[in-house]
Amino acid sequence: MTASPSFLGRRRPPGLIGLACAAIELWALLGGGLLIAIVLLTAYSAAANLLLGSPVPGDFEIAEVGVALAAFAFLPYCQLTRANVTADVFTLWAGARTQAALAFVASLVALAFSLVLLWRMSEGLADYREYVEVTPIIGFPIWIAFLPILVSLALLLLASVLTALQDLRALRSVIPTDIN
Amino acid sequence: MMDELFVGLAGLAVLVLLIALRLPVAYAMILTGGIGAAILSGPAIVLSQLKDLAYAQFSIYDLTVVPMFVLMGNIATRADLSRDLFRAANAWLGWMRGGVAMAAIAACAGFGAVCGSSLATASTMGQVALPELRRYRYSPALATGTVAAGGTLGILIPPSVVLVVYAIIVEANIVTLFMAAFLPGVLAVIFFILAIGVTVLIHPKAGPPGLRVDAAELRSATLAVVPVTAIFGLVIGGIYLGVFNPTPAAAVGVFLVGLFGTLRGKLSWSASIDALRETAKTTGMIYLILLGAELLKIFMSRGGVPMAAADMMVSSGLSPHAILILLLVALIFLGCLMDSLSMILLAIPFFWPVISGLDFGMDEESLKIWFGIIALIVVELGLITPPVGMNVFVISALSKDVPMRQTFLGVVPFFCAELVRVALIVAFPAIVLILPRLLSG
Repeated sequence: MTASPSFLGRRRPPGLIGLACAAIELWALLGGGLLIAIVLLTAYSAAANLLLGSPVPGDFEIAEVGVALAAFAFLPYCQLTRANVTADVFTLWAGARTQAALAFVASLVALAFSLVLLWRMSEGLADYREYVEVTPIIGFPIWIAFLPILVSLALLLLASVLTALQDLRALRSVIPTDIN
Repeated sequence: MMDELFVGLAGLAVLVLLIALRLPVAYAMILTGGIGAAILSGPAIVLSQLKDLAYAQFSIYDLTVVPMFVLMGNIATRADLSRDLFRAANAWLGWMRGGVAMAAIAACAGFGAVCGSSLATASTMGQVALPELRRYRYSPALATGTVAAGGTLGILIPPSVVLVVYAIIVEANIVTLFMAAFLPGVLAVIFFILAIGVTVLIHPKAGPPGLRVDAAELRSATLAVVPVTAIFGLVIGGIYLGVFNPTPAAAVGVFLVGLFGTLRGKLSWSASIDALRETAKTTGMIYLILLGAELLKIFMSRGGVPMAAADMMVSSGLSPHAILILLLVALIFLGCLMDSLSMILLAIPFFWPVISGLDFGMDEESLKIWFGIIALIVVELGLITPPVGMNVFVISALSKDVPMRQTFLGVVPFFCAELVRVALIVAFPAIVLILPRLLSG
């Protein structure tokens, strides 16, 4: 299978691009930390419920919001490492140039998606601020969750710009050898 | 009305084309779903839905179990559980003809019990079992075929991520599905071991007997798997008996697997970060596909495609079982082209309305469960089917000296065993339905 090159090998590219990659990776790891925190809280609550009959109040609400935030935080890293699954069978025949061009288009779709979602969810944030909605048991205002989500989407935008640039570079490097 | 159906069908064609052009499955779904829905309902409605859709989708409680299972699998992969499992299975089975391969199957099943991913099960067990199989001079085809096929056990033996996703699509009870998957999973282990038995009966040289171990080794190898067995028993047993919901059970499982790995000194800082990285990739991938599937569902149900497909099938005059077999063949074929999760998310929204409109002599809840288990097995078959059986690719990467053709050849006995299993479950739905009935009273 033809894997496109990933930014996050052992060595990180220098300069601003490297910094962007590091930020995206760090954000995903923060999401991972949040996931672990949710795991520990949920496990503790389950044990407390079983042994003492007193679970942490609203534990499932916390899990819902926390896992959603973590999942959003993972999206930019997923894009950067090209972890989104593709069906590769049909393009195995294609030359390096076609492959690179298709990868570039895929990055552009990701770019457009992150732009639209960033725009729409900012509006969503505005709506939730105007008509404040809180989770039923612990009373957590949902608009607060939208703040880190918007950061995630901005990083997804950044990640798709990075992969698009990378595809463009790959495309340029294969053109001279691929013309026949 | 007709026009909407036409747009829906055209959308489906575009979707397939985009996927074929190597656009990530999630983005192909998002693009077709979003634009299609905008055409049918007007852009304003879709744009307004997008304000909240992703958050609503990502914060479904039933889904919280998914990243936890993924994390548990990633920690288990790094905690060297696979080595213990293989050692114990080998101590019990290795002395028989073909026994080392049988031990690999048993160990795959054990590992699948803490890891819900076929690819991860195949690659982790492959690293442990392949060198041993080589040491005992197993034929390369049988050795690689065994591990590739053994990996598919990961999906059916709970915890399975794909099972959770199926439950969410058809709105079935996850706990019931977990119960239902158990006997078919056990059946798979038995059939795979029988397949090895038959293979070495025909080609005795393919799987020579290994060493018979002494009582002390047998005892210590068995004791070493007690913690894994206990964790699995607690997580799955707890879910089956209604002590936990799936999410708390998974959380407890992650905690215990992590604790076990740490106590054994296998979970260094860098291994833990690595596990988090892999979890981030897999979870992000799954959630993005789920969002795409939701958008696609909005578009397709607006276009009336699933209903039209159901009407067409029901009025085709074919018997329910003929239609079922037709759909299963389609799933095997599609499963060869794509990973199982994308496949389930793409196909089930169309297949389920068809199935639910047919009379198989059982109520809707039972039908959901029976069909889901069969569909899952069949999709998994795609992982070991040419041309792109993904498990075969994973195993080929681990054993570069074995040509992929050999591995596909080695998979054939297991493939046949799977067909027998599917036929049995189609013929006797009780295999799936009896455990949920017994456990939930």
